[in-house]
Formats: sequence, structure tokens, C-alpha cells
Amino acid sequence: MKPEELEALKERALKELSSAKNLADLEALRVKYLGKKGEITQALKSLKDLPLEEKKTVGAKLNELKEILEEFYKEKKNSLLLEEEDREEGIDLTLPGRKPERGALHPLTQTIEEICEIFTRLGFEVVTGPEVESDHYNFTALNIPEWHPARDMQATFYLKNGALLRTHTSPMQIRAMLERTPPLRIIAPGKVYRCDADVRHSPMFHQVEGLMIDDKTSFSDLKGILSFFAREIFGEKTKVRFRPSYFPFTEPSVEMDISCVICDGKGCRVCSQTGWLEILGAGMVHPEVLKAVNYDISKWQGFAFGLGVERIAMIKFGIDDIRLFFDNHLNFLESFK
Amino acid sequence: MRVPLSWLSEFIELKKSPEEIAEILTLSGHEVEEIFDLYKRLGEIVTVKILEVYSPEDLKEVVLCKVTDGRDTFTVLTSAKDQVKPGLCVALAKPGSYTFSHQKVEVKEVKNYRSEGMFLSPFEAGISEEKHALLTFPKDVPLGRSIYEILNLEEPVLEIAITPNRGDLLSLYGVARELNLITGWELKTFTFDKALLEGEPFSGEIKILEEEGCFRYLGRIFRGVKVSESPFFIIKRLFLCGLRPINNIVDITNYVLLEVGQPLHAFDWKKISGKQILIRRAKPGEKLLMLDGVERIFTEKDLVIADAEKALVLAGIMGGEESGVKENTEEVFLEAAWFNPKWIRLSSQRHRLSTESSYRFERKVDPEGIPLAALRATELILKIATPTGFSQLVDLYPRPYKRPLIKITPKKFAKILGFEIQKDFIIETLKKLGDLQIENETFKLIPFSYRQDLEIPEDLVEEVARLYGYDQIPDTFPIAELKAKAPTLEIKTERKIKELLKGFGLFEVITYSFIHPEILEKLNLSKEDERLKVLEIENPIASHLSVMRTTLIPSLLEVAKFNATREVEDLAIFEIGKVFFPEKELAKEKVHLGILLKGEKKLLPWEGYKRKYDLFDLKGILEELFSALKLEVEFRPFSTEPFLKRGFSYDLYLSGIKIGLAGAIKNFILERLDLKRPVFIAEVNLSEIYNLLKEKKKPLKIHKPPKFPSTFRDISFLLDKEIPFSEILSYVNSLEIPYFEKLELLALYEGPPIPETKKSITLRFWFRSEERTLQDEEVNTLQDEIAKKIFEYFKAIPR
Repeated sequence: MKPEELEALKERALKELSSAKNLADLEALRVKYLGKKGEITQALKSLKDLPLEEKKTVGAKLNELKEILEEFYKEKKNSLLLEEEDREEGIDLTLPGRKPERGALHPLTQTIEEICEIFTRLGFEVVTGPEVESDHYNFTALNIPEWHPARDMQATFYLKNGALLRTHTSPMQIRAMLERTPPLRIIAPGKVYRCDADVRHSPMFHQVEGLMIDDKTSFSDLKGILSFFAREIFGEKTKVRFRPSYFPFTEPSVEMDISCVICDGKGCRVCSQTGWLEILGAGMVHPEVLKAVNYDISKWQGFAFGLGVERIAMIKFGIDDIRLFFDNHLNFLESFK
Repeated sequence: MRVPLSWLSEFIELKKSPEEIAEILTLSGHEVEEIFDLYKRLGEIVTVKILEVYSPEDLKEVVLCKVTDGRDTFTVLTSAKDQVKPGLCVALAKPGSYTFSHQKVEVKEVKNYRSEGMFLSPFEAGISEEKHALLTFPKDVPLGRSIYEILNLEEPVLEIAITPNRGDLLSLYGVARELNLITGWELKTFTFDKALLEGEPFSGEIKILEEEGCFRYLGRIFRGVKVSESPFFIIKRLFLCGLRPINNIVDITNYVLLEVGQPLHAFDWKKISGKQILIRRAKPGEKLLMLDGVERIFTEKDLVIADAEKALVLAGIMGGEESGVKENTEEVFLEAAWFNPKWIRLSSQRHRLSTESSYRFERKVDPEGIPLAALRATELILKIATPTGFSQLVDLYPRPYKRPLIKITPKKFAKILGFEIQKDFIIETLKKLGDLQIENETFKLIPFSYRQDLEIPEDLVEEVARLYGYDQIPDTFPIAELKAKAPTLEIKTERKIKELLKGFGLFEVITYSFIHPEILEKLNLSKEDERLKVLEIENPIASHLSVMRTTLIPSLLEVAKFNATREVEDLAIFEIGKVFFPEKELAKEKVHLGILLKGEKKLLPWEGYKRKYDLFDLKGILEELFSALKLEVEFRPFSTEPFLKRGFSYDLYLSGIKIGLAGAIKNFILERLDLKRPVFIAEVNLSEIYNLLKEKKKPLKIHKPPKFPSTFRDISFLLDKEIPFSEILSYVNSLEIPYFEKLELLALYEGPPIPETKKSITLRFWFRSEERTLQDEEVNTLQDEIAKKIFEYFKAIPR
């Protein structure tokens, strides 16, 4: 093959390759030039008939041309592939995905977890205890003797064996203090029971109890920790206020309100036009309670609080009927995925 | 407690609006739950004009009026036939509203005449004592407007939640005194004519026979009283506070109770045998027919007021029918006493009888305020019931109330509050709470007798802090030891299980710990089954919630049922909760996990692939769960549970201990519960697992990336249907095959063309050497050897 012929072949091949319209055309051209019986391959094969000197020069040139064409072919193929993929219509992209199964934890569990997580960060230890309690732990040790009118605040379920269903998680204060030596910080989530049922009351509900005892934790600290908690769970902008209240097992006692999350404190039906929602009760642990667990009241002091999980969940999720939590209808549960 | 502001203002000058007063009280610890206008609360009472008046012949006492409220017309029957005439404007209480004396107004039909409401007299409108005339308005009055708006009348009432420690606030005067303490607004105190202290000699005898039950007892007799209806101002105020008027004497005792918080009782003196008032314990079995019409039987723990013969009153709680003041009573004995709060509380609880009186005694009345109440009642009786004479005031006070002495230092305030309140403020506040002495750096306070809630230094800290304002005390973070314990194994494991099951597509449910005893019976349990030994609730809220659950299965079935009746037949749910068994004291509480699968498994519907849950869905969930917990749980086929289908169930064992069950619920039980099949249930005793987890846990086996490739060979064969897969597995494991890595069950088939007694199985054996690449020939040899052994052992036919 003469150099001019070689040059012409190169020009022709490149021109044809570059004008290929689709992959099929391109493939045909590949076969035409680079295939087993292609022109280049044939030319290479025919080298053997040439004199050695010519074999060398033409062979080198042919190989060079082969490489150029192969390279050109690859690039052309890539660009045609790209063009073709871009033109492809594809599938119905609006069909739903093939989902891995995913359930959900109950909204109350999610709320309890969130509350516990906040306090665990502050070094509170999570403890649990019995739901069937004695009168002593549920009432007497908490400075609520048999004749105390405060017992009216908690309609109690009694069992036929004389025990009762705890009406609050506060017995955990007593149990935790008896099992530990101060200083201590505990948080106790759990089920509690009261003989009460309507849109806002369920005979079984959940509370989280908190207790911090050392030699200097004060009322200001109580305010600080609980304000922090409110902002963590309801958002940075939440306003809180503290109102004096009464619990036999704390003194001073306090109730904490947050600015209504529905109306932002302007006043609405949910907050009875007050702009505030009550979310927990707390106070400095009453000396009688410390005495009941043989703690030296001249040395130890601290605060306790109890909050209603349903209440917080109802506020957080905007739920107006407590019974929804215990009906467990799938549609309701699926909302919390 | 209801506090009408019009009444409150008699004792204190109210310098703020009702809303502001409510805010002040709330922020001082007396939560105002509601502010309402009592007139508005009555409902729709509007001005109407009478258009026409008819006197149907078949109605004698009443006439029929057609009226308009400016928009619509109504017909109203009225007995005021002499007063009504066309053109007259009157007050119409529309159906659904209430009259001031708390009669509900409803649509009435008399002989086919419809009456859509009631014309009100000024009395029934709560405006004046006039009962017989209708309330009328000028001819040009706007129609259809609230009569109270037209008359510009308001009766704002605060509903205050008084905490149980503040019995001293259960009265108008008490609330006024507290407002004075908070705001400094001037308090108006009572003054009495000195003559009220004197009187004729007492013509009977009063004896306190039980000093533990009665600390103080005052009595006085009134002669020649006229018992009749009370004047309007008393009636109105009783209604405002939610009490019903009876007669002037009884009303006065209630009025004074509301006014100053001291319960009083009035007796018909002529009914008192032997002219003796005895305060004593009841005799066992002593009976009394009481004012609520119920006869009660007393015990020695009850305190009664008795005459020479019998009990007359359950002290401090409720009087007897017989000795009460009635229309014909001429001589009245008035009692003002101070009973032991604990006794009253326990008696009231025993008899399930709570009254305005017992409620206040339980919460401690002011022992030094009793004479004031007696004098106030005397004053009102003299004015209203015009007695011809009254006796001296007998005052038995065997054990005078001793006020406590509370010592506290400024340091203590600061230590508890974490903040120093100015000493001056502390002193000023303490002075308002009692008699204060200051010695060196110590405050010594003897609280006023009505402040019996003040007993210890902490009580004073609260008083000072709340009057200072809780919001004025800064928020701080405690400085504490930087240490914290990890959550317990139980808590961590429970969380892990919940997260795993959520990941498997299950939804967590939370159900009541109490269940219906009948649902346990429906589970077909044998009589000896410990799950039938339930803890019963003495006072259940409903019979279907009357026993503590011993298993989670009934609760899960209830959830399935609730969903099924609300269009959800497909469910995959779980619960972790406690079950309860009787024990000597309290209960044995165990944490259980329950799982329920029902109906169809959720898959992509547009792929046309749907199927019902089967046992292996449940088993797979449990296997994965236990695997994640590193527990080797054994699934023993054929559960012994009477509610599970034998051939589709397992008992679960861990270290030889039964820890649970899993399987399909028997069909007849599902029929009983009206649930669609299939329902798969598992219940696992987590408490037991926690115990075993503490002891041992399967160690992790770490696999490194392989250095040499693996290779596999499949073996297919037919064998008897009866042979369980587990047998093949354990046989293969017993063979000690060289280079054997793992076994997979590749295919399992029953049905044509396979003979009926057989099943077809394909097993895939994986081989690998740690040292080299295995040669095809040696693996082939292994395959042949294994196949031969299996075929021989199981009498299997190669395929």
C-alpha cells in the first residue's frame, strides 16, 4: 500500500466514522475497517508479501492508523451512547418505590425517649420500678398519710390483695433514694393509673419522674433545668412561667407552664384563652420525704418533678383526644413513621 | 371554688379587672380555672315582644302567646295570663337555657300546644325577689338581645382551684384576706354589736365526750324564730356559688360557710331529747336517717352529735333528717365547731359522703375564727328570722389550739432558693403571716391560726418566694459531679428490640394493663393455667377493665379487633409491657413482648404480588430478633399452648427454660372473637431473657475477607414428606465434611408430579479451603460422597 493510498484510507475511514448516525452504523463501520476482515486488518495481513524494508515502514504506519481509528471509534461510540441514552424515554418515573418495610414506635414511646434523652444528656440515670405499689411508697412515704385530703387529687385503683396501682411515678423517688446514696440524679419513666376516663383522662397513662439530690441544688437550679427541658422539647423560642402550687412531697412547690404552641401565647381554645399550657409539677423535695428514706435533712436537698407524657405528646403532635393513644388504630400509628 | 366578684368586693376593694385578678391569683398559686359570667351561662334569655295572645278553650290555667325576637316567631304557654297582652315586651328563656334557680327550660307540649320557652319573672331571671310579676321592658327595647345586656347586669365569677393545704381559702373572706396579702388592697373586717356576745342563760347542756374528735364546740339557742324563705340577696348568692336555698335558717348557715369558711349546723331544739348535746363516738351499729334521705350505719370510728337518746348528726359531715330545721321549727340550736380533720376525713371516706362542710373540716378550719362565724350567723338570724330571744354563746374549748413556732435564718432562705431575697422583704412578708420575733440572725414566727399550712421552715421559704414572685428568681444550672451511669441492660435491650421490630415493619402499640377476665376464658386455658390466677381490681373503671393482665395476647387481639371493625384487616404489631401475677405483697411483674401478624403482608400492589402472612413470617421475625440479641433460642415444634394450632406453632426455649410461644391462633378461638384468619401470635418473656443475657451471650464470630474462592455443588432428591428439615440439617452437620462452609436450602417442592408422600428438596453445599483453591475433581468427589450418604440415610431418591 502506498503512502497516498494509506492517507486516503485514513481520510475516508475517519470521515465515515464521524458521520455514523447511530450505534448500528458505527458497528458496521468498525467491522468494515477494524473487523477480522476489515480493510485495516486485511492490509496488515497483506504486509507479509512486502519486502522487509517496506514491511517495516508501512506496518508502522498501518498500526498507527489502526490505533487512531480505534481511538476515534471509542470516542464516537461513547458520544453516540450518550446521545442515545439521552433520547431514551425510560420508565414511568412517577411510580412509587419498592420500599423496605418500616414500622413505627408508638408516639408515647417516642415522647418518653425524647424526654429521657434530654435528661440523660444532663447526667440523669434512667430507672424503672413496679406498677403495683404499696400504700406506703405511693402515699405515706411521700408525706400523704391516710387522712390527707391530697389523696383526693389522685383517684386510686386498689387491688383485692390490698396493694394499689401507682397513681404517679413519685414512688420511684423513694425507691431510688433507698437504693442509692446521695448525690444522685435519676429519671423514671413509666405507666401510672387513675380511676378517671374522658377525652383528657385515661385510666392508664405515662409519667416521667425526675429527682436530683445533693448538698446544694436549689430552687433556682430547678427553674434552670426545667426551663432548659421545655426549650429542648418544645423549641428554642418556648417561653416558660412558674406558678406556686402544692404537692405534699415538695416544698416549695411549683407548676410550670409553657407558652401555648398553638397560638404562640395569644390565647386560644386549647389554652383556654390564657396563652399558657401547664406541663409539669415540681418542687424542692419535702424534708418529710428525705426523712422517710433516712437522709440527713441538714445536709441533703434537691428537687423533684413529674411530667405527664400524654400531655406533652398531645401538645407536641396536636392531638385533642387522649383515647387515640390507646385505641392503636393503624392509621393513627402510621402517622408517626 | 366559685368566687362571685360582687360578693368578694364586700371584703376587699378590687382594684383590677376580673381577668387581672385571675392572673394575680393564678401566679400566687391559686389557679383560676375559669372566669365566667353567671348570667351569660344561663343560656339564651332574650327580649321578645308579644304579638298575639290566645286563650284556647281546652286550656284553663295558661294562655298561648305568639312572640317575636325580631327575626323569628315562637309560641309560649304562660300562666301569667292576666299580665300578658299584645305589644308587651318580656324576657324569654329559650329551650336549652336555665332559669336562675337552675330549672332547665325545654320545649313543652300541652294538648298539642307547643311552648318554645318560658317567660321569666325578675326572680327567675336572678334580678330581684319578685316572683309573681313578669319581667317587662319598655316598648322600644331592642328585640332578641340578652336581657342582661339590655339591663347592663354582670355577675363575674372566678372558679378557683384551691390546693388541699389552703383550707383557709375556702371562703369569700379567706380569698379576700389572701388577695390583701398578695396585693396590699385594703381588707374590710367584720365588726359586731357587743350585745351579740351576751344572751339569756343556756337552757340545756353541751358535753364533749370525745376530746380527740372535737377540739372546740360553740352553741347558742334562738327562741321564736320565723322559718321562711330567705331574702333575695342570700338566695342569689347561694345560687351564684352553686348551692340551693332551703329555708332562711339553713341558708344562713350555708351563707356563713361560704362567707367565712366555717361550717355551721342548725338543729330544731325541740327535737333534742333531754336538752342535751353530746359529742361522742357513735355506738357500733348506731343508725341515722340523714338529710340526703339515706340511712347510714355508724361505727365507733365515727363522731356524732347526739342528744340523750340517739345520734342526730354525723359530726362535721351531714345532719339527720329528724333534727333538722323545718318550716314549723320555732327554736333553733346553732352549732359552730372545730372537729379533728383526720376524723372527719376518714369518716367521710368510709361513708363515701363528701359535703361542703366535711370538705372544709378536712382542710382545717380556723379554730380562732369559730366565734366570728357564730356571731355572723347570729347577726343574720336576728335580722332575717326575727327571733324573740337568744341564749348566751356556750364555748367549750378544752384543748386550745397551740400555734407552732417556726425558726428560720436568712441563710436557709438562700440555701433553698439559690438566691438571696432582700432581708427587708423577708421580714415584711413574715410579719403578714403571723407574730414575728427576730433574735440575732434568727426569725421566729408564730403563724396566724388560720394559716395551719405553715409548719416548717420550708413552708416559710415558699411563702416568701411566691410573694416575691417565682419569676423574679433567676434560672441557674446546678453545679454537680460530672458522672452518669449507663442505662441498664434491661433498658438498652428493650430499646434495641423496639428499634429492630420497627425496622422489620412492625408498629408498636400500647394497651391498658387491665383486661376483661372473659377474654382469658376465651383462650381455652386449662383450669390450672397460672395465667388464670389474676390480680383483681377492687374498684375497676369498667367490668371490661377489671383484672390485671397475665399475658399480652388478649390486648393484642383487642387491637386486632378494634382495627378490623374499622377497615384495617392487615396488621403487623407488637407491644412491650408488663404482665402481673399475684404475690404475697404487691405483684410479680414481668416484662413481655407480644407480636401479632394478621391478614396480608404489605407488598407493592401494582406488582400484583400479595400474600397472606404465614408462620414463617413470624418465625423469621423472631429468628432475626434473637440473632440480633445474640441469643440461641430453640424453636420447639408443636406448642403446648391450648390456643395455638398444634401443627403451626412452637414453644420457645432458651438454655432449657421456656421463654415464649409462637404460632397460629386456633380457628374456633378466632370465631369466638369474631376475627378473620389467619392470626399469628408470639409472646416472649423478656424478664427471663434479661436474666439469661446477664449470664451468657453468644460471642461474635468475626469473618475476614476470604483469600481463596469458594465453590458449590447442588444435590437434589425426593424424600418422605414427614422428615423435617431440621433432621437433614443436623445429619449434614454430623458428617464432618472437609472444606464444608455452609448449607443452603435452595428449593422445596411438594405436589404433582412428585408422589403424594414425598417432597423434593435441593440443597446447595458451599466449600472453601483457607489454604488453596479447591480443584473441581476433589469437590465432585465430596459431592458424590455426601449425596450417597444422604440418599442412604433418608432413603431418598436422587433427582
